[in-house]
Amino acid sequence: MSLKIDTRQANGVTIVACSGRIVFGEEATMLRDNLKRILGSTRQIVLNLSDVSYIDSGGLGTLVGVYSSARAAGADIKLAGLGQRLRDVLQITKLVTVFEVYDSEQEAIATFHRGAA
Amino acid sequence: MDFQTIVSPSSGTGSGVFPTLVFVQGNDQRIINLDHSPFGVGRKVDKDLVIADPRVSRDHALIVSENGVFSVIDQGSKHGTFVNGVRVERKTLERNDRLEFGVREVAYVIFNPQHGTTNSAREFLSQISGMHISDETTDLEKLVLFLEAARKLNTIGVLDEILMTLLDVTLKLTRAERAYVFMKNDQGELRLAAGRNSKGEPLLDDKTISHSILDDALKSNSEFVLTDTSRSVDLTGRKSIVAYDLRTVICVPLRKPQVQATRGAEVPVPALAAEAMGALYVDSRFASRDISGVSNDILHAIATEAASLIENARLVQAEEASRRYQQELSIAASIQQRLMAVTIPEVPFAKLQGRNLSCKEIGGDFFDAVNTEQGLTIVLADVSGKGVSAALLASTLQGMIYSQLTAGMPLTDIVTAVNRFFTHKHIGEKYATVIIARIRDNGDVEYVNCGHILPLVVSNGEVQRPAHGNLPVGLLPDAKYESDHCQLKPGDRFILVTDGVTEAENARGDFFEDSRLELAAKAGTLDQIFTAISDFCGGTPLNDDCTVVDLMYTG
Repeated sequence: MSLKIDTRQANGVTIVACSGRIVFGEEATMLRDNLKRILGSTRQIVLNLSDVSYIDSGGLGTLVGVYSSARAAGADIKLAGLGQRLRDVLQITKLVTVFEVYDSEQEAIATFHRGAA
Repeated sequence: MDFQTIVSPSSGTGSGVFPTLVFVQGNDQRIINLDHSPFGVGRKVDKDLVIADPRVSRDHALIVSENGVFSVIDQGSKHGTFVNGVRVERKTLERNDRLEFGVREVAYVIFNPQHGTTNSAREFLSQISGMHISDETTDLEKLVLFLEAARKLNTIGVLDEILMTLLDVTLKLTRAERAYVFMKNDQGELRLAAGRNSKGEPLLDDKTISHSILDDALKSNSEFVLTDTSRSVDLTGRKSIVAYDLRTVICVPLRKPQVQATRGAEVPVPALAAEAMGALYVDSRFASRDISGVSNDILHAIATEAASLIENARLVQAEEASRRYQQELSIAASIQQRLMAVTIPEVPFAKLQGRNLSCKEIGGDFFDAVNTEQGLTIVLADVSGKGVSAALLASTLQGMIYSQLTAGMPLTDIVTAVNRFFTHKHIGEKYATVIIARIRDNGDVEYVNCGHILPLVVSNGEVQRPAHGNLPVGLLPDAKYESDHCQLKPGDRFILVTDGVTEAENARGDFFEDSRLELAAKAGTLDQIFTAISDFCGGTPLNDDCTVVDLMYTG
């Protein structure tokens, strides 16, 4: 397993911090299962990917899949802290137009509060 | 007592097993593999079977095999060779023949070959357990003999047969009335796997057994539980015992054999900590079939050996299942290879080359080329993930795109239709990056890139990466797709790759990356690109398929 997932709360937003590689197989499955479980109790998630070195096509599919089902359930997942490689991948696949992407975790959290205010 | 190896199921005798000799001398007995011919018998120490008795000649007799038929040949012995009590010079041997060499009664050999191909594992096991063995052999020894034999049997699909034979042997040894094996299923629930009564009839129903004792035995840490109801005072909650008048119940939890780490002189920990994978249950109703006196040694042997026996059989079954799965996979892989084998259309204005380097696992890459009135169209796609599901989706995708290309549909309509189909079918998290490019005889290339690695346009030794792009197909149902154009001059190349190329890894975990790809594309041909990839990777195996398509406009 080359992926580690830490979950914590900040100002009512659930931060899911990933480190390692999000790849097709048990890593992608673990991320999906974790996010699905979290979505059972919260509507606001920030996915901090600053320690993710690599995401493959399978991992990307998982990310979009969970994102779509979150949106369908009235929840929102925002991405934060993407490295250059992840930015490139989102750019090539034009998924930057789908996800809300922020430079830092704090910025992403703040947008949730701005929306609520 | 020395029990020798009995069986090699893979031996080439045609019967599936070697014939065996059971050598009985006084209280001692041995099972000997008749695995070579001639097999010498005599008093000399170099004989295959040495009988140390003055009445046995030094070179007494030979047992020979000719075309699977075994014979005994006397070697001019002083006191003679006997088969079933008759003195012979040469005699063909039949199963269970009794052979005597000079010395009568005190030492003899039972010849017991396995005949024919109908020999099922069960038949074999019961032969072993029911074999004519001298009366001095204890029940425990017979059991050990049986278990030894069964463990060596790695025949496919023998689990049921092993269970049945285990029950028969247990019934015989304990003289109990009924015996059952229960195995845990994937949910951890006990399920009846096999049942037999002392008449050898199968028992398919477990309603009349004491489930409370079964449960207790599983929960307890004991090796086996023996319940003698005539001595037990408190039968509350033991409904079956009262209702069916069960007199004695033996329950043996079957625990997976555990490998214990031995630490110095510490007393080895008994393998009781392991969770039970099932249970062997034996009971009797009648006083005449009192089984409470069954030797603890026998129960101990059953408890420790039966579990490993079943575990072995299960492993063999799992291996077979995985072998079949591998076979399916290789079929899928060859189907995919055929899909990848594209007949490249000849056109006067362009030269097209495509090559795929497959990784070990089946991937979801495909490449296609179709020549229509509108021009030469090339397709390169990569379905996310790997394995059979990715390959299946790739071939569906290929079929859809091919049929729409030949129908002359606009490129954006094609990918929109494919996207609608994939998202409508809810294929889950599977999607595909696709690039479709169509070149006309005037050098105009129209292409639609759906989340795929950017194409390389090589012109005058310079590499351009046109940044046009769309969402991949199969992710979002309402995605909109647009195409772009670029103009090639004669000698310009339009190169497409899959991410297996840019993400090819070397031993240090570095990727091939766009920069190396661009250098290689600038420098040379398709062959040189692949050479650059393999030079970079060294011996590191590919994680993903590498596909490169090289289109050159010749004008």
